[in-house]
Amino acid sequence: GVALGAWPRVAMEAPELWVGFVGAGRMAGGLVRGLLQAGKVPASNILASAPSDKNLGAWRELGCRTTHCNLEVVHRSTLVFLATKPHILPGVLEEIRPAVGSHHIVVSLVAGVTIQTLQRLLPPWTKVLRIMPNLPCVVQAGAMVFSRGNNAGDEEATLLKSLLSSCGLCEEVPESYIDIHTGLSGSGVAYVYLFAEALAEGAVKMGMPGALASRIAAQTLLGAAKMLLETGEHPAKLRGDVCTPGGTTIYALHQLEKGALRATVMNAVEAATNRACDMAKD
Amino acid sequence: MSVGFIGAGQLAFALARGFTAAGILAAHKITASSPDTDLPTVSGLRKIGVNFTVSNKDTVKNSDVLFLAVKPPIIPFILDEVGPDIEARHIVVSCAAGVTISSIEKKLSTFCPTPKVIRCMTNTPVVVREGATVYATGTHADVEDGKLLEQLMASVGFCTEVEEDLIDAVTGLSGSGPAYAFTALDALADGGVKMGLPRRLAVRLGAQALLGAAKMLLESEQHPGQLKDNVCSPGGATIHALHFLESGGFRSLLINAVEASCIRTRELQHLADQEKISPAAIKKTLLDKVKLESPSLSVASVNKVSLFTNKSKKN
Repeated sequence: GVALGAWPRVAMEAPELWVGFVGAGRMAGGLVRGLLQAGKVPASNILASAPSDKNLGAWRELGCRTTHCNLEVVHRSTLVFLATKPHILPGVLEEIRPAVGSHHIVVSLVAGVTIQTLQRLLPPWTKVLRIMPNLPCVVQAGAMVFSRGNNAGDEEATLLKSLLSSCGLCEEVPESYIDIHTGLSGSGVAYVYLFAEALAEGAVKMGMPGALASRIAAQTLLGAAKMLLETGEHPAKLRGDVCTPGGTTIYALHQLEKGALRATVMNAVEAATNRACDMAKD
Repeated sequence: MSVGFIGAGQLAFALARGFTAAGILAAHKITASSPDTDLPTVSGLRKIGVNFTVSNKDTVKNSDVLFLAVKPPIIPFILDEVGPDIEARHIVVSCAAGVTISSIEKKLSTFCPTPKVIRCMTNTPVVVREGATVYATGTHADVEDGKLLEQLMASVGFCTEVEEDLIDAVTGLSGSGPAYAFTALDALADGGVKMGLPRRLAVRLGAQALLGAAKMLLESEQHPGQLKDNVCSPGGATIHALHFLESGGFRSLLINAVEASCIRTRELQHLADQEKISPAAIKKTLLDKVKLESPSLSVASVNKVSLFTNKSKKN
């Protein structure tokens, strides 16, 4: 075991930054892979805890250290990511609370748990931030938003942003946007997968082999998104640029409009956002 | 320059009103003719000071630019009637939806070897000088002839030259477009009334909203999608309303409308070319009146009308 207080306070800059993960599931795994691939923190500075060994093997393969003791993570880290399932979190917070100091930066990835709740369950001086990432953080093309609690200042926000920008887009937002981000981008990734599948199926129907169709569908989405991000043009303008008068694209778009695709997508974002809000209240 | 209108209905009235209001043409330089003197637009034309006559031939004689402002099925009768009076100096402008330049040239060529024909598609807001007009020049119409028409039509709104094969699409969009707008405005006013506004105010505000939006778009470099975004505050009233529009397939309804109007225009032209419109489809009184003015049309040929062949004796 590790004696309380035996570990020195460490500097905030990488590579002296010691990062811990309480919970080692899919989302945590995505973030740590992004962190490692960007070379911001050496793997040996990262410690992750989980109740079973189920996920920890993958972390060790990355070069991270692992443990089954949540307290150890808190003792050995400055920056602590909370990545448990929502119903587990209150118990975990009660457990680690005694070890949390004013030098810690606690960043919660836990869906639906508000900053207010986190601050209530942690010591009053704790620097708390809440982040909502999405899955493509794994390939450094994620979209993340975060909000800060009462004691988290510009320094903490800047640190988080600089660490995680290697995983993709990372923006600070008011906490009220976090559920919207879930609906738009957290769940949004699934909408895109659905759309890609449907595109490919259309191509298969018209005679193209499935594997090729899927690769082309993915590349089409990637390319379109890249043009959006790089040109900064309004999507309606880019759409118009592709539509030759009387050509194939406008015929296809008419089909999409007939199917009220726009409204359906808006409905999806709304439904996911509302569900996130409801779940947070439970 | 003098202008004549064969036909004294909505289109002739709108154009005459627009031209005179624009000051590009004095009313006494405009002649309009129709066998039907009961049309409400006839008194309107008289009021502006346009010369009204029941003789189409008189209109032709007194005009340099001759607008054919009758319904498409009537065009062939008119061409038969006034054909003999058309000279090389005339610029014949057909505003009839779906009627091709070649069909008019074919008809007129039996009378005049090189008829100047221009086909145009305009819309009713020419009456308030906010029309949308396109034109295509025929075989014997020069660049100057096109420019002359363009000058006239630009005085009552937007006017540009196009390839003839686009005119049906223009019909679907801006030809019929004001009707879509009137429908939308009626419904918007209903919405206002439902939420408590007096009708007159609701209509006034709805119309001004569309007018203002259209003006912003025409004067802006921005895409309408961007202008829409600029109105939509996050979580606000407008985006909630737009969601309803999208759910109802608003965009696709508009696309469908433009498509339907364009397709119908082509259908009507096709029917005309194939001489499938029966005389019964054309108002009998109008036929009789045309017959009265054109002794060259025999009774027999009236009963067996073929739209684009000329059975009457040459003058």
